[in-house]
Amino acid sequence: MIKYIIRRLVNYVIMLFVAISMTYFLASAFMDPRSNYMSRNPRPPEASIDRSLDLANINDKTPVLVRYFNWLKGIVTEWNWGLSPDQEPVAPAVASRISSSVQLVAISTVLSIIIGVSLGVYTAIRQYKWQDRALNAVSTLFLVTPAAVLGLLIVLGTIAINNATGTRIFYVTGLHSYEGGNIGLAILDFLQHIILPTIVLVCIGYVNYHLTQRTYLLDTMNADYVRTARAKGLTLNQAIRKHALRTSLIPTTTNIAFSIASIFTGAVITETVFAINGLGRYFVTTIQDNDINGAVCIAAFSGVCTLAGALLADILAAWLDPRIRLN
Amino acid sequence: MTEPMNTVAAAPANGEQPVLEVRDLRVNFASEAGTVRAVRGVNFDLYRGKTLGIVGESGSGKSVTSMAIMGLLDKNAHVEGSIKFRGDELLTKNDKEMSVLRGDRIAMVFQDPLSALTPVFSIGEQLKEALVIHNPKMTEEQIVSRSIELLKLVGIPNAEERLKSYPHQFSGGMRQRVVIAMAIANNPDIIICDEPTTALDVTIQAQVLEVLQRAQQETGAAVIFITHDLGVIAGIADDIIVMYAGRPVEKADVDTVFHKPVMPYTMGLLGAVPRPDREKSSRLVPIPGAPMNLVNMPKGCPFAPRCPLATDICRQGEPDLLPVEGREGQLAACHRVKEIVDQNLTFSDIYTVGESVKSKFDGIPREQRQTVLDVKHLKKTFPLTAGGFLRRKIGEVHAVDDVTLDVREGETVALVGESGSGKSTTLLEIMEFRQPESGEISVLGKPIAKRMSREDKRELHSNVQYIFQDPMSSLDPRLPIYDILAEPLKVQGLSKQEINDRIRDLMALVELNPDQVDRFPTQFSGGQRQRIAIARALAVNPKLVLLDEPVSALDVSIQAGVINLLEDLQNKLGVAYLFVAHNLSVIRHISNRIAVMYLGRIVELGSNHDVFEEPLHPYTKALLSAVPVPDPQIERTRQRIVLEGELPSPSESFSGCPFAGRCPMFSTLTKDQQARCLGESPELVAKGGAADHMAACHFA
Repeated sequence: MIKYIIRRLVNYVIMLFVAISMTYFLASAFMDPRSNYMSRNPRPPEASIDRSLDLANINDKTPVLVRYFNWLKGIVTEWNWGLSPDQEPVAPAVASRISSSVQLVAISTVLSIIIGVSLGVYTAIRQYKWQDRALNAVSTLFLVTPAAVLGLLIVLGTIAINNATGTRIFYVTGLHSYEGGNIGLAILDFLQHIILPTIVLVCIGYVNYHLTQRTYLLDTMNADYVRTARAKGLTLNQAIRKHALRTSLIPTTTNIAFSIASIFTGAVITETVFAINGLGRYFVTTIQDNDINGAVCIAAFSGVCTLAGALLADILAAWLDPRIRLN
Repeated sequence: MTEPMNTVAAAPANGEQPVLEVRDLRVNFASEAGTVRAVRGVNFDLYRGKTLGIVGESGSGKSVTSMAIMGLLDKNAHVEGSIKFRGDELLTKNDKEMSVLRGDRIAMVFQDPLSALTPVFSIGEQLKEALVIHNPKMTEEQIVSRSIELLKLVGIPNAEERLKSYPHQFSGGMRQRVVIAMAIANNPDIIICDEPTTALDVTIQAQVLEVLQRAQQETGAAVIFITHDLGVIAGIADDIIVMYAGRPVEKADVDTVFHKPVMPYTMGLLGAVPRPDREKSSRLVPIPGAPMNLVNMPKGCPFAPRCPLATDICRQGEPDLLPVEGREGQLAACHRVKEIVDQNLTFSDIYTVGESVKSKFDGIPREQRQTVLDVKHLKKTFPLTAGGFLRRKIGEVHAVDDVTLDVREGETVALVGESGSGKSTTLLEIMEFRQPESGEISVLGKPIAKRMSREDKRELHSNVQYIFQDPMSSLDPRLPIYDILAEPLKVQGLSKQEINDRIRDLMALVELNPDQVDRFPTQFSGGQRQRIAIARALAVNPKLVLLDEPVSALDVSIQAGVINLLEDLQNKLGVAYLFVAHNLSVIRHISNRIAVMYLGRIVELGSNHDVFEEPLHPYTKALLSAVPVPDPQIERTRQRIVLEGELPSPSESFSGCPFAGRCPMFSTLTKDQQARCLGESPELVAKGGAADHMAACHFA
């Protein structure tokens, strides 16, 4: 098992390196930071533009390979992911946003998976009964509701609640506002902020797990080995819980793994609605600002997330499925 | 309806109580087309130590009956009647109450061993579950020792270590042994076997049947054995119920059913099966028509539309299953039973045996016929790879290893062997129409070269055609029959008028109504679809047709019709067949020459008569002895050569004879002779009387 993981890890590091390098070349080819300066009024002299771009190592007059090796050297030797066109180091900017994104996304992801998979199992066992139909209807509703609409509805609703009660039970912007040193109050404050965006993210996120897990379990529920288990003397529910569920979880693990990266950078709309300074918004900003180094840095972080998720999925799948473990 | 009194077929004289009483069992399913009446009145009693065989074609309700006893039917099944286990009514029990009996008193062995075990749990865990669910107080040691005992009983070597293995590490036959071990774990009173050997090779089937019989002796259980294979049932059952369209139509002890059947359907079923133990004497007799649609059943006997004896009374009302006068313990559901018994009507009186067409090449000896296909030293290997990014080659699978054979005009050459023997790969390699990895393939004297002109390729395609196993998936469901048949003709550049004429001829040739060319494949039954596939293959007047298991997906009564058609077409058109099948009875009936394959090599090659009557190679002998014969007397007396072990992995390489490890003759040889078997690979050379009878064995 350890050997298996190490082999995987080596594969992933190589893949990651190739992917990040490709992103660097792509970003350098399509983004034009010079235009940021050219559009300024009054336009700065060319020599000064070149100097600024050279400082950030994003001057299109330097050959891209030279820029690439400088950039790579910076990362390898001093963990320096370069500067934005405004001469801001991108690594600390990303790091600070990772923390808010993690706070925002971690809870909602875990909740989405737990709620989605449980609902999938619950409805699969009750296929075509009213519970199944009702929950499917609800999930389909969330599936077609845009995040912005859902976010705004919730904001309006909670403002109404806040106004009605006259106290601020829920905060609709940011992640923190308490400045004191009391841990209990800090946690309460955090919860007051986090609950609304979490509701939005869970509502959007769980649907996928619900609908796919339901299908996977329905597929395995009628498998011959479930019938064998019943013939041994297990009741239908025991047979499903013990024999069908485990096999049906194998494709879900892969599903989860590959959604992790998009969870971090894909919460743009929720971040915007609730005014949270997360990675998603930063990613959009870097692209708008022709920030080559910033965009590549975020892409690298997503790549790490994806591969971490893939590794996690591989380990989970191997744990669930001995056929992978032994081969 | 039938009175319970009538149903006791073979009650033991000592007045023993039956373990299971089934009375007027009816099962309906709601479907979109209407109510499917899958089982319509089944009655029987089951006694300890006895085996009841239930025979029937697909859709006859035999499996549904067994699932109803187990209480494992889908929720949309509506079950009526009564099933009593030791006097205890089962149909009123809910899932929880039934689960107390299931696996403990009533156990079941299913058809497909590959999917019957949960892939993510080890064999030990699954066996443990079967024990613990009914004996929660068992200690860990008791569980392990009982599991080992069970695995040993069903003949799994290294039982202790194998407990930790997972299902995918076992072969199909071994998995079926595990399923049997789980079934007998709690010494059940009843074991229901639903087609337990259908998915297995004959030699493995013989092993598994032996294990089942041993398991029955150990537990003293009553067995319900469900199968469509009359050969298997002849060897294992005491009493037999023949089912048709959801009802038993005949019931008696095994000898009576096989030797003195009275219901025309039973007779037809027995007549439609080719016999592996007899030289072909006449054509097979297919039962005309197709099985009944269970949704809209007309009144009257469901077999009447297919029965040569049917009269008006048969179409008026459905006959009850009643005792046959003058026959002890035999019951039949037929209005004309009295005439059949009184006049002693047999199969040949009722069904008309057709005349076969005389072959174009009748009387021309084989040597003087043109060679259609010549395969010399054909080899095909698949690489075994390992590693992630860079796939390293770590070995080779020798799927086809030095195969040499020829097919002449108007003859049928059959490739036989167990799964993994390379027979299908050989066929696929010929179909590829490209220069093989090693060796040579020639069609009509022209070798297949690496580069061929477009013209040569087209000619090759018009000379060689193929027919696949599953007629459902080999015909495009979205093309009407006309387009399916026109496709190969268009490639050959025929005009529209020529194509129309040819398609009309083709439809008539395969005995289908030419007006139905605008229908889609799904509107035809399995047998008709296979006829369409045959018509498509024959459209371009090929000289050679490659057939891969062409009848194995069909029911016996339909299969006979397709086999007859293939024979007639060969005789009329002089086309040669290269035929791959695992069913040796079909091979015996249809082929002229037989090549027996083992691990990618031909171990014996000879005429039909020589191979079946005077087999030389010990593997051929074992294979033939494992084939069940649909005759209970022969089955009881014949000696089986049961091969030990399993087919070795084809990735192994052998310096000597690949069969030596399983060879029953090997242990009888002297040390020197054994050394020769292990060290020197035997060549395929002429042995025995005939010059064209060859075997690859040093000591045959």
